[in-house]
Amino acid sequence: MKISVTVNGTRYERDVEPRTLLVHFLREDLGLTGTHVGCDTSYCGACTVLVDGRSVKSCTFLAVAADGAEITTVEGLAADGELHPVQEGFWERHGLQCGFCTPGMIMSSVALLEENPSPSEAEIRHALEGNLCRCTGYHNIVLAVQYAAAKLRGEQPPPADWEEVGA
Amino acid sequence: MSLGISIVRDDARAKVTGAARYPGDRVGPDLLHAVVVFSGRPHARMVSMDVRPAFAVPGVVEVVTAGDIPVNEYGLTMFDQPVLVGVDGTGRARVASDVSRWEADQIAVVVAETPEAAAAGAVALDVDWEDLPVVADLEAALTDEVLVHPEAGTNRYVHHRIRKGSPEAGWAAADVVVEGTYRLPHQEHAYLQPEAAVAYLDDDDRITVEIAGQWTHEDREQIAHALDLPPERIRVRYPAIGGAFGGREDMSLQIVMAAAVRKLAARGIRRPVRCVWSREESIVGHHKRHRGIVHARWGATREGVVVVAEVDAYLDAGAYNYTTNKVLGNLHLTVAGPYEIPNLRVDSWGVYTNAVPGGAFRGFGAPQGAFVAENQMNRLAEALGIDPVELRRRNVIQEGSVGPTQVPFPAGVSMPAVIDACAEAAERPVAVPPPAIPFASLPADESRLRRGRGFACAFKNVGFSFGFPERCEATIELHGDDEVERVVLHHAGADVGQGAHTAFRQMAAEAVGVPLERVEAVWSDTAVTGDSGSASASRLTFMAGNAILGAAEEAEKRWRDGDRPAIGEFRYVPPPTEPFDPDTGRGDVNFAYGYVAEAVEVTVDVGTGHVHVDRVVCAVDVGRAINPRLVEGQVHGAIVQAHGYALTERLVVEGATIRNPRLSQYLIPGIGDVPAHVEAVIVEHPDPVGPWGARGMAEMPFIPYAPAVVAAIHDATGVWFDEIPLTPDRVLAGLRRAGVAQ
Ligand code: FES
Ligand code: FES
Repeated sequence: MKISVTVNGTRYERDVEPRTLLVHFLREDLGLTGTHVGCDTSYCGACTVLVDGRSVKSCTFLAVAADGAEITTVEGLAADGELHPVQEGFWERHGLQCGFCTPGMIMSSVALLEENPSPSEAEIRHALEGNLCRCTGYHNIVLAVQYAAAKLRGEQPPPADWEEVGA
Repeated sequence: MSLGISIVRDDARAKVTGAARYPGDRVGPDLLHAVVVFSGRPHARMVSMDVRPAFAVPGVVEVVTAGDIPVNEYGLTMFDQPVLVGVDGTGRARVASDVSRWEADQIAVVVAETPEAAAAGAVALDVDWEDLPVVADLEAALTDEVLVHPEAGTNRYVHHRIRKGSPEAGWAAADVVVEGTYRLPHQEHAYLQPEAAVAYLDDDDRITVEIAGQWTHEDREQIAHALDLPPERIRVRYPAIGGAFGGREDMSLQIVMAAAVRKLAARGIRRPVRCVWSREESIVGHHKRHRGIVHARWGATREGVVVVAEVDAYLDAGAYNYTTNKVLGNLHLTVAGPYEIPNLRVDSWGVYTNAVPGGAFRGFGAPQGAFVAENQMNRLAEALGIDPVELRRRNVIQEGSVGPTQVPFPAGVSMPAVIDACAEAAERPVAVPPPAIPFASLPADESRLRRGRGFACAFKNVGFSFGFPERCEATIELHGDDEVERVVLHHAGADVGQGAHTAFRQMAAEAVGVPLERVEAVWSDTAVTGDSGSASASRLTFMAGNAILGAAEEAEKRWRDGDRPAIGEFRYVPPPTEPFDPDTGRGDVNFAYGYVAEAVEVTVDVGTGHVHVDRVVCAVDVGRAINPRLVEGQVHGAIVQAHGYALTERLVVEGATIRNPRLSQYLIPGIGDVPAHVEAVIVEHPDPVGPWGARGMAEMPFIPYAPAVVAAIHDATGVWFDEIPLTPDRVLAGLRRAGVAQ
């Protein structure tokens, strides 16, 4: 089937099989391998992307269903080499180790902050319940999102807990 | 200058922009796709395999079978596994290759133009099996009625002993005795990146495998052995690695992908081959933390001095040894805890079954050992009416203490200071936020909530033990004219996510005495880096740091001699170790240790059995924190992984078959499940042989967590548990048996 999608601002016309999953389309057809696959059961969130601004697990979304949509993947967040505030937060607050969950975490966080610019810690945790991380213990991921939220609101990001104790 | 500062990880930018490349990330039309076929039979003899139906599937290019593996044997410490099970073995192996002893024994690799064609080819293979009786678990194995490896003569194929002092004299002196039988579960690594590899011939025609592993040179060695090629004809490279935790120490795709490339090359096909495992293949297809059963009986005087301990421990090795003999050694060493117990008998066995192999996983036997030792200690504290921390102070090992192996611990014992640091921090009240997510879908009824506190401590070796020829190589190049303008470090050490490469670069800058920006590095490629040893046993910072120091000294010497660039190569060899004496367990088995203590506070809902961990204090001696934020990252990550081990992760293995190989069924902690408040207390008590005093630390915070949680649940409810994970159903059943819940 012919589909036409805009991914990270570029329009693509492609022929895909109806059963092609969006994640495979992004990775194999467009070479956007920043979107990862961590499970077979729509559980881990490593494949999260934005479809028309909403966060979607691209392993359970058919490429044909994205026909006409605007898609943003992790590769599309930085503008002119400048990191998106959420990317900066994960960088600045050590919100990653192996990094395999990171693109999905970042995309879910971007979607959260677009909807709710001032989330509480509980709201951040709730929004990221569909994203698993095996390495970080999540603590620094929460700090990363808080950092990004402040940045996006034009405020000074809160000090990390280690900065508070003066380390 | 470059140490003790928390620079951001070197790979952070690539990882937040999606630019980082993991092994499965190579795409393109030139790729061929491989599927590795599992036997699907825990115990069966292959009668025949016909590959012709697979070749009949459109798109199938090649099928690799046992006959393509010249030396069809694999094993990190014992060659007891065929690389591929099949009837066409070459006969050049120490293990019979026609028997599947595990459901994920590999039998073939199907290579095709598309992943779909490869999968269809795999299904089309026509295999005839004769099923053999299955040794499902430890109980069945211990009868020796059916042998998993008949050539071993028994399923109990490895046995360690400790005979220290006189247990009889100890029992005579004991006023109080506690006894328990502990059941330890399997644990799945669940690194978020399932196994994947791309294999090809490089420009020098070397068979090259790009994969996520833990030790490039050992991977190369194992491939070379099985393919009967000189190691120089093989190249192993690690791109970004999506977590490991011990689960990538044994081979998954390394050998078979290399074999596929070789077979294709013989036909003149030079295309790269990619294989990506599904999550299900990953969980079924690699080893686990060992399950086991341990019986322990300890005695103490009324004054709180532990005078005797006797322990019998069994670990389920599964179908193949993997690293069981070594993991068992660590359990053996740690099962009496960091205490100086004068009279000690320990017998531990590794036992073959047809279940998934047990192997390396963060802590490597020490979590099982500590679970037993710390539960025993906490139960003794209750029986004696002595505060658990105080009881530890009365028995803890000190500098110069003689350990279970009847020789003094290596210098730098800091267990007492670590216990104090933890206890002190835990006494400081903090405002712990209420659980962010309610226990269940409904808010809890306050009257059913019970709160409690628990404590545990532990020790574990840094580096390989028991006489292993431990070593680590580094190369440092100094470029420039009058001053060093650029430093290039070559190191194979695997950055599995812990941030090792960032720490190595910091250490190289410090060793040479240049600002960090001048240090570049070449990583993890057998073609251009020396043997680093494995990213395991909390050894990399320690070993690589010493190797970097040596290489820097060597390079500086050449620099002074006028070499430009000045190149220093160094192979660090730590103090030698020795194996356990087979009869007494005596021996100088390790050269360094890490020490850790944890205090936890929990809330238990006695109506539902849910346990919420409200606060964790973890004190860990890292010797010298090279990058404090990375150290804290290891604390947070290890605690959450241990939280899963203690409370949520239940692998169902029935009839030697894994029944829940999915993340939707095997529940690793999500962001809503984790402890609400974690405090990392970094102790810096230098290790006398560590680089700048650094010790390894990445495993330590995992180790005492489960027994600390058990103690806190007991404090809250008065009920002891001797089996984990403490899922709500298990907690509720225990509370009911004790009459605490209805
Ligand atoms: S890959 Fe795991 S949710 Fe999509
Ligand atoms: S950083 Fe490894 S899974 Fe999150």
